[in-house]
Amino acid sequence: MAASGSVPPPKPWERVGSSSGPSPFRPPSTGSTSNVVESSGVAKIGESSDTERNVPLANRSTIGRPMPARPWEQGSYGGNYGGYGSMTNYNSGYGSTTNYNSGYGSGLYGSNNLYGGMGGGYGAMSGSYGGGLYGNNMYRGGYGGSNAFGGGMYNNGMGGPMGGYGMGPGGPYDNGNGDPNDPFGGPPSAPSFWQSMLRVMHGVVTFFGRISILVDQNTQAFHFFMTALLQLFDRTGVLYGELARFVLRLLGIRTKPRGPSRPGPKAIGGQGTPENYYIEEPKEAAGGWENVWEG
Amino acid sequence: MPVFRTAFNGYAVKFSPFVETRLAVATAQNFGIIGNGRQHVLELTPNGIIEVCAFDSADGLYDCTWSEANENLVVSASGDGSVKIWDTALPPVANPIRSLEEHAREVYSVDWNLVRKDCFLSGSWDDTIRLWTIDRPQSMRLFKEHTYCIYAAVWNPRHADVFASASGDCTVRVWDVREPNATIIIPAHEHEILSCDWNKYNDCMLVTGAVDKLIKVWDIRTYRTPMTVLEGHTYAIRRVKFSPHQESLIASCSYDMTTCMWDYRAPEDALLARYDHHTEFAVGIDISVLVEGLLASTGWDETVYVWQHGMDPRAS
Repeated sequence: MAASGSVPPPKPWERVGSSSGPSPFRPPSTGSTSNVVESSGVAKIGESSDTERNVPLANRSTIGRPMPARPWEQGSYGGNYGGYGSMTNYNSGYGSTTNYNSGYGSGLYGSNNLYGGMGGGYGAMSGSYGGGLYGNNMYRGGYGGSNAFGGGMYNNGMGGPMGGYGMGPGGPYDNGNGDPNDPFGGPPSAPSFWQSMLRVMHGVVTFFGRISILVDQNTQAFHFFMTALLQLFDRTGVLYGELARFVLRLLGIRTKPRGPSRPGPKAIGGQGTPENYYIEEPKEAAGGWENVWEG
Repeated sequence: MPVFRTAFNGYAVKFSPFVETRLAVATAQNFGIIGNGRQHVLELTPNGIIEVCAFDSADGLYDCTWSEANENLVVSASGDGSVKIWDTALPPVANPIRSLEEHAREVYSVDWNLVRKDCFLSGSWDDTIRLWTIDRPQSMRLFKEHTYCIYAAVWNPRHADVFASASGDCTVRVWDVREPNATIIIPAHEHEILSCDWNKYNDCMLVTGAVDKLIKVWDIRTYRTPMTVLEGHTYAIRRVKFSPHQESLIASCSYDMTTCMWDYRAPEDALLARYDHHTEFAVGIDISVLVEGLLASTGWDETVYVWQHGMDPRAS
């Protein structure tokens, strides 16, 4: 993979100087990238803590809002039960300062279960676009693309309880040496009683979320099944009624016609109201229907 | 101007820095949700766009970049967490010439250094950015500070050691490869930031595009408020790109299926042109460095369009 020695044509901007004024950057170093990085003493920084994914450097971060669930953590059920589960989780993890300080770096936040819980609302919204493949969160539905449509709604839904977790430099979580968020510090402490309890609660909520989904969907399926069955019976009744009438007629037995009973000829004699006269061509009129309006 | 049909859904298109008629297009099957990927290398000819070669991969390809040191090398970002390096001078059976597998999640962005041409970056959904050099099989550095997926990592075109990264944690961070941590953190948008790019004529100016449908132009020295906010897209913005030829020109593409050209210095009528030739999400756009005004775009409608700014992309 060595360089071929060819050099691309000069870039258009290389012919003119920068117009930015004083630069905030250190002057560029000369030499190869390998030499520059190694001589800076920063090569392979962070590699040692590779296994601790998602450990935020809260004391440096300027963001103060919850992160949406990762694209691959958005399950297909996310839209249905993740929403309330996420509220519970998040509030439990963040709601109290005590839990936050003691548990932030020790796995409560980093735990995929807890963190992933908040995916519900987010993933569900992405499903609202078209509903087809775009919103399908089975695999990577939430990645950049589909997230796009969930973004607004996600924040609407979560905005309330999430507000106010300022994580700016020097904020309430800047604990100096004892900062549990520091991924380069010591190993995380064991979870406290409350953390364990909340984790259990999370499991319980998730479990009942799944159960409720199953119950709901089964009830719905049963309802549709019964509705279809009843309709089938209804139609069958009509079918057999018609068949019976047909057979009887073949046998020469007159059956009573269905529908509103027509008044007999006697009704014309004066018993029936005009509304009861069935539509018949007026026999007396010479022109039949043609003159019916003229009389 | 010509159009090329890809087998899979388009994700990224890049003009070659060496050959003005050559393009690389990264595609992924089934909208990138599951399936294979294919790296196309295309050639613009008087008779339309023809395929020079194509390389298949086991997972979808989300981004690609040309080497600035070797005209035959293309780097792809793969959904299986690997970074593939292809040599277009070699047959498909001899490719990829290297598969760099250190990311734990999907790689969503690759970018070759324009100044010191021996290295490139990869940004991944494992929240990290890795620095790779062409002389080593392992990554040179790991940048791990974002708290959510990286959607773009882009070198400063005027400074060999500086790059910017856009993340789903709603921040853009500016890094110096010689520093252990990010040097500047910009909480740029209220929603996930999907793209960023440097101004080619002002090394302190960044443009960002995000899920909140806004394009923001930043001076990183005064990052508390953006210089300009460009409104006009109706869905999330997938990619933004500063023109290599005009300082104030920005190209963008969006999930509203359009690609737009902007002049950020004219905030009242910043939208210069809107192209609606894609019938699905427009997710890849590039501006040719070698031919002024030449644009290329790709999208989920499995097409690649190349056209001159101001013309209709569909006009043949």
